[in-house]
Amino acid sequence: MADNGISSSHQVNSVLIQPANLECKNLYDYLTTRPPTVLERLYNHPTICLAVYRELPELARQYVIRILFVEQPVPQAVVASWGHQAFSKEHVYVSKVLTDLFVWQEAAIPGGLPGWILSSTFKRNLKIALLGGGKPWSMSSALDPDSKARDVAFLDAYSAERWECVLHYMVGSQQQEGISADAVRILLHAGLMKRDEDDGSPVITRQGFQFLLLDRQAQVWHFVLQYLDTVQQRGLDLAECLTFLFQLSFSTLGKDYSTEGMSSGLLIFLQHLREFGLVYQRKRKAGRFYPTRLALNITSSQAKGAPVLEEDAPKGYIIVETNYRVYAYTDSNLQVALLGLFTDLLYRFPNVVVGVLTRDSIRQALRGGITAEQIIGYLKQHAHPQMLQTESSHTLPPTVVDQIKLWELERNRLVYSDGVLYSQFLSQADFNVLREYAQSSGYLIWSNKEKRTMVVNKSGHEDVKKFWKRYSKGN
Amino acid sequence: MGPPKRYSSKTEGKSKKRKRDEEEEWNYEEEEATNDSENTAVPGAAARNAETNDHSIQEDEFGSKDYRSQMELKSDHASRPLWVAPNGHIFLESFSPVYKHAHDFLIAISEPVCRPEHIHEYKLTAYSLYAAVSVGLQTHDIIEYLKRLSKTSVPEGIIEFIKLCTLSYGKVKLVLKHNKYFVESVFPEVLQKILKDPVIQECRLRRSVENEGEGEDGFITQIQDKKNIPAFGSKAGPSSEQQTQETEVPDDITNFYEKMDNEEEDEEELSLKTVSFEVNQEKIEVLQKRCIELEYPLLAEYDFRNDTVNPDINIDLKPSAVLRPYQEKSLRKMFGNGRARSGVIVLPCGAGKSLVGVTACCTVRKRALVLCNSGVSVEQWKQQFKMWSTADDSMICRFTSEAKDKPMGCGILVTTYSMITHTQRRSWEAEQTMKWLQEQEWGIMVLDEVHTIPAKMFRRVLTIVQSHCKLGLTATLLREDDKIADLNFLIGPKLYEANWLELQKRGFIARVQCAEVWCPMTPEFYREYLVCKTSKRLLLYVMNPNKFRATQYLIRYHERRGDKTIVFSDNVFALKHYAIKMNKPYIYGPTTQSERIQILQNFKFNPKVNTIFVSKVADTSFDLPEANVLIQISSHGGSRRQEAQRLGRILRAKKGAIAEEYNAFFYTLVSQDTMEMNYSRKRQRFLIDQGYSYKVITKLAGMDEEPDLLYKNREEQGQLLQQVLAASDIDCEDERIPGEGGPRGGPGGTRRVGHMGSMSGADDAVYYEFKRNSSSANKHPLFKKFRG
Repeated sequence: MADNGISSSHQVNSVLIQPANLECKNLYDYLTTRPPTVLERLYNHPTICLAVYRELPELARQYVIRILFVEQPVPQAVVASWGHQAFSKEHVYVSKVLTDLFVWQEAAIPGGLPGWILSSTFKRNLKIALLGGGKPWSMSSALDPDSKARDVAFLDAYSAERWECVLHYMVGSQQQEGISADAVRILLHAGLMKRDEDDGSPVITRQGFQFLLLDRQAQVWHFVLQYLDTVQQRGLDLAECLTFLFQLSFSTLGKDYSTEGMSSGLLIFLQHLREFGLVYQRKRKAGRFYPTRLALNITSSQAKGAPVLEEDAPKGYIIVETNYRVYAYTDSNLQVALLGLFTDLLYRFPNVVVGVLTRDSIRQALRGGITAEQIIGYLKQHAHPQMLQTESSHTLPPTVVDQIKLWELERNRLVYSDGVLYSQFLSQADFNVLREYAQSSGYLIWSNKEKRTMVVNKSGHEDVKKFWKRYSKGN
Repeated sequence: MGPPKRYSSKTEGKSKKRKRDEEEEWNYEEEEATNDSENTAVPGAAARNAETNDHSIQEDEFGSKDYRSQMELKSDHASRPLWVAPNGHIFLESFSPVYKHAHDFLIAISEPVCRPEHIHEYKLTAYSLYAAVSVGLQTHDIIEYLKRLSKTSVPEGIIEFIKLCTLSYGKVKLVLKHNKYFVESVFPEVLQKILKDPVIQECRLRRSVENEGEGEDGFITQIQDKKNIPAFGSKAGPSSEQQTQETEVPDDITNFYEKMDNEEEDEEELSLKTVSFEVNQEKIEVLQKRCIELEYPLLAEYDFRNDTVNPDINIDLKPSAVLRPYQEKSLRKMFGNGRARSGVIVLPCGAGKSLVGVTACCTVRKRALVLCNSGVSVEQWKQQFKMWSTADDSMICRFTSEAKDKPMGCGILVTTYSMITHTQRRSWEAEQTMKWLQEQEWGIMVLDEVHTIPAKMFRRVLTIVQSHCKLGLTATLLREDDKIADLNFLIGPKLYEANWLELQKRGFIARVQCAEVWCPMTPEFYREYLVCKTSKRLLLYVMNPNKFRATQYLIRYHERRGDKTIVFSDNVFALKHYAIKMNKPYIYGPTTQSERIQILQNFKFNPKVNTIFVSKVADTSFDLPEANVLIQISSHGGSRRQEAQRLGRILRAKKGAIAEEYNAFFYTLVSQDTMEMNYSRKRQRFLIDQGYSYKVITKLAGMDEEPDLLYKNREEQGQLLQQVLAASDIDCEDERIPGEGGPRGGPGGTRRVGHMGSMSGADDAVYYEFKRNSSSANKHPLFKKFRG
């Protein structure tokens, strides 16, 4: 009898898959996921040590510089005493960072106390970076002056064009020349695009849209990281590539560098960077290259913003009206294409695009995996200065924001909750008792008197089951 | 018995059916049958459409029309405010420093499509250009100024279009001077051209008497002397803000604007040389028609100052009447050159249309006829005249079935469209009045709520009444059947259209928070909704218990705030059910005039009556300045106009306007997942284009805590469902107002009054009468007399 009460227990699984969001790693996140051996090799290059040092939290930089010239381990208690008690949390955090990055290691000092000592490779090379000495950096080899020297403006235009090529490809605009199969592979690998189920052509994913919404520097960094993931499959040496990248990031804009002495692997890497616009080469075999702005400071974390990247899209060009009209002051195909992802575009004038947000256009974007939040975020981020001047505190008309959200909610009218089905009660009384119990304890999700079935939520299942056993024994 | 009336012909006892309120409450809806012969009087150019100009334009990869190849960006585009698309759409930046200039100009030459906060859209149409010409703009100036204002070069097609639409328009005027009609023009060649037409030759009146002014071609040449534009009341001084932003504006824009502005104002100061010929008064109609066919429509102007035949009436604006800037501007368009032009002025409800009408009458100072569409608004117009002008009771005559003042010798006659166009037998008195009315030559005819009259009815008015100039007033120049364009040629072009959002910002009309409240259908109602036949659906979503509860909650909430609330329901079954359940007074079609006034008076002055329920009879011309909350529970399909008119009921500026962000509330309750959602989306379009935004409320905060809302439990809801299902088909429909026509024909006999009364606790009997269901209760002593 007791068993009969619960004849079947269906599990209603949550069908709603929470969308995976784009993970943006900074240099720290990236390096900590590398194996220690790779780090060890990386620290053989002063450039990398300097880059890592620059990216450390302020407190960590303090610690490093204080013990840089100390040859023995420093007791941990001493390090901890440098900061105020109130900031012990920060201390613990930076200690972890330094350990994770193998900048310092734990070492016992005589007397058995735990101490810290900087990793010897890191220490040696950071000293070189700060004080000079060591081998000359491979990139700095002297060159004859370029007969066709390129100026900064040219490089900026070039890099922007190359980079936008990639972005254009992502939004599916046909106007631009395509990108190489390699680049497509990276996009697919990064999950920014996926093969369409019908025809196998790459289409943008949710993460891809988020990617587009990043500022350019973050985009480049994210892209390069994804690229580095695939480096080993191509038979390239990760450490070598990383080293080169870091060297590049410390190079001077507008200056040309020689390719002499670069390994064949590195030369392939250079060609890839060239495709994405991180470096400029007139010809494949030109023997010299120019780093562009995209490559500079590539390692600095996004939080610092992009002071150098002023060439980036004019800030704020979108006007959203209460009648769902969208006016975008832009002549950039890319920006238009981005808008086109979720707006019905009506007219294009030389310097403005007129579109309208409709239920259909938004739904299409939602179907493509773009969230309402992302759309609103994009519109807000690029709002025209006029939009910011309105008396109300909202940048976008609140009704439009609400409506976009409602359009999204419309698609999620069903609420899923896990539950267990109880059925085939032998008597109405049994059913009533159990239902009563489940209801009073707040477990009941649904019940039907006529069919004597009920669903209780998963957390309540055990409890209800126990109650039922007790109850049926009592009978 | 006269011939059967058009709409109530199916009911028995025709004469008895001539209920007073039916006559008066004609709420002219869209005209359903088009009468071909009547629609011919529209010039060919009006059919031209710039919209088709861009069919050849390539769509770019994103699906937008790519105009980039057609226009070139000017280098100083940032300081110029607009783009002109090859399909006639114009986009204007409202934040541009030259916005004010561009706005005035665009209003004159194009139709506003939408005017939200930042970028406004206008559209060039044949009608709008016609209007531009008729207020005195020249083809060349329009093109030139448009070019200067535009950020880009203006597409060739548009320039062509403007030329096509304006070159022949506005060149010839029909002027009434000294009670003789003249066809006048500043272009002798145009006159010569049209005079070659045999029909027009016939209309020409040649006086053999010596006429000094006549030249060799027989035209009367005249040099016009300076005339002053009439001043309207005490106007506010010219705004001084204009001079603050000179810096960024390219000189050519400002200079040109000033030039045009001056030209418009002192058009006549240039002492224009005009030529004219006199025409035979009997043939005016033929002449007008023929001229339209020749694509030279005659602009009617009334030189009221030189009219010595019609006596002046002695009215003036009171010194206390102060015109707001936009009212003055609209009147300036009308009296721009010292004469009165016919046309339509569009102002939002509550923005003071009546004052514009009164001022126009006071300016012309000839006999004035005011036509409106209900008895209630006749009273309101009389009040307005007494408030703003020096006219007293002896000068104002009401001509309705209820109030028949002695018309003879009065200066202002206020009546309804239906009184004039009534085709059945009238009482002797009314007959006399009509006779008198027809004999008069009216100086000005003011047509209130002009959008509501079908063209047919309007033509009938025109054949009965002779008036020199016609002024149409409306808030929504908008019809679902797009027949609004006919008005252009029946009355005249649109002279002015105000920007709602701007008036709201400046506090001339109330700041309204529009909200759409989503009421989920209860499961039982939704089940029925899905299975039942279409006609029942309406009733199911209107009677949705959740909607009822939301209404009740909102009413209580606002009553506590001390607001005055009007609840609108087109469906009579719902109206009565809601009102009776909540114990509130209600007004609908069959409610008598006296009862209406009683209810409205109570609503105005009785602090205990804060909420009234009304059917669509109150859509227009119910002036309720106190009301600041409007709840709409059922409406007429997707009618944008009704939505706007209803909003108008609460638009009148409220006291203490600036303190709060919003001082009026407009709720539309819709049942989720039903047809209503679609309707409401469509309805809102007009207001959204005016810059209003609807806030969607999915859940009313605090509703669950509210005690004793009705229909809380399933049992009550089930009972309600039974009632709804038991309701007859007639109950399912919107209220039919006589005069509306529609598929069901005669409405009079089908309405069942008193149906709900029997089952409800109708204890507040003061405010409603539900027993009265036939004409017997309708007899008013006056009415009996009327029947003769």
